[in-house]
Amino acid sequence: MTDLVELEIEERGEVVVARLSGELDIAGAPGIGERIHDAVPTSARALVIDFSSLDFIDSSGIAMLFGLARKLGSRRQELRVVATSGRPVARVLDIVEFDRAAPVHETLDEALAETA
Amino acid sequence: MRELPELFSLGVKARSLAYLFVAGACLGLLTLILPHDEGVQDLQLYVLAAIAIAIASLIYVQAERVSEWQLHLVLAAGTTILSFANYYTGTSLYPLLYTWTALYAFYFFALRVALAHMVYIGLGYGVVLAIQDPDSPAIRWLLAVGTPLIAGLLISRMTDRLRAQQLEAAESARELRQSEARTRLVLDNSPDAFITLDRDGIIRSWNVAAERMFGWSAAEAIGKPFRALVTPPEFRDRHDERRAALVDSEDPVATQTFEVELQRRDGTRFPAESTVSKVDVRGEVLAAGFIRDVTDRLRRQEEREALMREQAAREEAERVAELVSGMQLLVDAALAHRTLDDILSDLVTRVRGVLQADAASIHLVEEGDRLVLRAASDGNPGSGPFTGERFAERVAAAREPLHDRESEEANELIGVPLLAGGEVRGVVVACAARSRRLSADDLTLLRLAADRVALAIDHARVYEREHRIAETLQRSLLPERLPHLPGLDVAARYIPAADEAEVGGDWYDVLPVPGGGVGLVMGDVAGKGLAAASMVGRLRSALRAYALEGHAPARVVEQLNRLIWTEADESQMATLIYLVVDPAEGEVRWVNAGHPPPLLVNGAESPQYLEGGSSVPLGVLPFPEFEEVAVRLDPGGAVVLYTDGLVERAGEHMDAGLGRLVTAVKEAPSAPEELCDHVLHALVPHGGTPDDVALLTLRTIPMTDRFRVEFAAAPEALASMRAVLRRWLRHIGGDDQQIAEIVTACGEAATNAIEHSGAGGRAPFEVGGRMEDRDVVITIRDYGAWREPRMGDHGRGLSLMRALMDTVEVSPTPEGTTVRLRRTLQGVDSDANGGP
Repeated sequence: MTDLVELEIEERGEVVVARLSGELDIAGAPGIGERIHDAVPTSARALVIDFSSLDFIDSSGIAMLFGLARKLGSRRQELRVVATSGRPVARVLDIVEFDRAAPVHETLDEALAETA
Repeated sequence: MRELPELFSLGVKARSLAYLFVAGACLGLLTLILPHDEGVQDLQLYVLAAIAIAIASLIYVQAERVSEWQLHLVLAAGTTILSFANYYTGTSLYPLLYTWTALYAFYFFALRVALAHMVYIGLGYGVVLAIQDPDSPAIRWLLAVGTPLIAGLLISRMTDRLRAQQLEAAESARELRQSEARTRLVLDNSPDAFITLDRDGIIRSWNVAAERMFGWSAAEAIGKPFRALVTPPEFRDRHDERRAALVDSEDPVATQTFEVELQRRDGTRFPAESTVSKVDVRGEVLAAGFIRDVTDRLRRQEEREALMREQAAREEAERVAELVSGMQLLVDAALAHRTLDDILSDLVTRVRGVLQADAASIHLVEEGDRLVLRAASDGNPGSGPFTGERFAERVAAAREPLHDRESEEANELIGVPLLAGGEVRGVVVACAARSRRLSADDLTLLRLAADRVALAIDHARVYEREHRIAETLQRSLLPERLPHLPGLDVAARYIPAADEAEVGGDWYDVLPVPGGGVGLVMGDVAGKGLAAASMVGRLRSALRAYALEGHAPARVVEQLNRLIWTEADESQMATLIYLVVDPAEGEVRWVNAGHPPPLLVNGAESPQYLEGGSSVPLGVLPFPEFEEVAVRLDPGGAVVLYTDGLVERAGEHMDAGLGRLVTAVKEAPSAPEELCDHVLHALVPHGGTPDDVALLTLRTIPMTDRFRVEFAAAPEALASMRAVLRRWLRHIGGDDQQIAEIVTACGEAATNAIEHSGAGGRAPFEVGGRMEDRDVVITIRDYGAWREPRMGDHGRGLSLMRALMDTVEVSPTPEGTTVRLRRTLQGVDSDANGGP
């Protein structure tokens, strides 16, 4: 038994890594979005959201993601998303064509490499 | 004619005759010595005198041996000698000598015999006269015979009188002897001692009974002072006083009766009753006393007195016993019941019964020091119910028992205060109608009972107050309504102990946990009452907090253990099962802290106890290891949790109860509500159990080719819905990707449904699913108003649905909106799922 959704924030130099696990729906999305946003200082260069451990995402999660992309873009900060293809989250990101808003990577390492 | 007694004995007669002979001879000899007539023949006379002396000597010597007739012969011989003397003396005065023998005969012999001797005298002298032939012989004869005859007759008459007197004297002497003998016999055979004392206290007579009584013979006793012989030393002075008072009394026949203690020869003492009379015997004052040994009488008297004392004691004992049993009856009433109302109503009836009163009532001091009527017996005299309120007020004010024989409220009233801790807690009143008077005993009984009853009532009141609080608290701690759990059916029962002794520490809880699971809690806090209830409260809040944070069962239970260990006192202990059902995974995980094992029912399998995951109860160790165990829970499977009150029965092993539970669950219907009812019916005896019973059953909804579940219109319900949906989709054969996509699409529809219900909308939404051939058809129905999707988030939701499903139909109506999603499952054989 785990909490519905869990968030871990990690700062790697100028890059903030937010790792999500569990299920992200309307019950958790708005709060998670705020927490992630607050965790990214203006000094940060990039935010990497790692979905590889997330089991479920719905449109409210996607809305949160677009919201973050917009806010970071206005601050000229980079947003990258990690989603393992074949997993439910990657499928949803694919459907909503999220890659038009921000790059989607297969692994965290790949995403971090791109930010560097 | 009466035979007269002889005046003289033969010896006396013989010796008298001898003296007569000697005296005659001496007189004759004397006449010979003196000058006398020449014609007297002296020699012959000397010979006669000698013969007379010889005969006298012979008789004298033989005096004691002679017989009557020998005396007659000797007397006749004397007469003969006299006749010869007359012959030899001639015509002298010698015939006078006949007087001697004649008078002897008359003096010593009976008249007839004496007359015979007179005849012989007459004949002898006649012969002498005939031979001598003197002048005027007839005159001589008459003078010689007539003179002694007349003198003799006089003597004879005198001796006859003497003899008659002697006879009378002898008679009276004989009678006296006989009388004395009788008296002596009476006295000797008397059971009482008869003793006479002289005025100095010396014993003068002592009868046989006295010999027996004292052990002293008459010979030993007579002549000795009474006081020294039989009066114990310490009583001797009193004896002297009494004796002096008696003998100095003016009254010539004074009599005293008194009780004394006397002493036997062997020193033993005995109580005696003495009756002493003063007797004046020819000027000599005697004290004659009868003494009776009253040992037996005293013993009988003592026995009688003892008997009477015993009887009195028994009557007293019976009275006290009646008092005590009556009191006991009243006290029992106070102790036999738990609730105050029961105590009071029983007590008031018993007070009336025990005192045979016509009515009784009990008043208790309530808040604000008001005396309130709490119980009244039926059978009230007069019109309207008897209460005795005014009298009760008086008793309460007096703080002591009162007895009013002429009250205004009823005819007769007694009342006692119920005192506890020095305070008047109430008043018991009993009332009698005219016919009967209440006694002082009744008041005593009521007072004695009241002291004990007051305590019991006081305890009951304190207890009830605490019980009420604990009960309220416990009720508030048990879920008022079980949460609605999509895809799960839950039922619970709580049965308080039969005697309602005290609120127990049994509790249960059902709470949704993050991730779509449900947590089941069954616990038992050791102890009862307020303390146990408040501990339950703390455990419950803590468990909910930890569980909702999403901690694993073992972690949650660890936290609870820490809570009890650190917060509660040493004796506090609790058993607990925390079991989490994950319907999506088809799994139960649990931790058991010393609680009876839960029962698991998986489909058609036999129910089995979940023995694993057992650890020590909470509050026993500071850091115990709580093992978390998981088992599979099939769709349609159930878990049964309970407290020991369900399976424990006095005098049998718990295994027996566990066996009964398995049997009952096996036979029970599968729906939780019915299952609970069946189990309780089978295991809880009529009249309840001595301990509280808690029972909690959860069953997962069995999977078929269709389902329909209602969910609360809240974001938190989405996880549950997804769990239910995943389980069903897996059941009908969907693969992981299909399941994920369908669940995502349904999630969008459900999110819309929640939004339609509005912020305050509590109307649930319904999700149904079914298979149509190889198509999955899912319907999400809400009861809100459809909102046109705006661009952005919601529009994205709809496009997600369309992207993930084959068809999406939205049907808005004024009552609500229905979204129907359809998708063909690739690789699923339609026949495999059977039926439409």
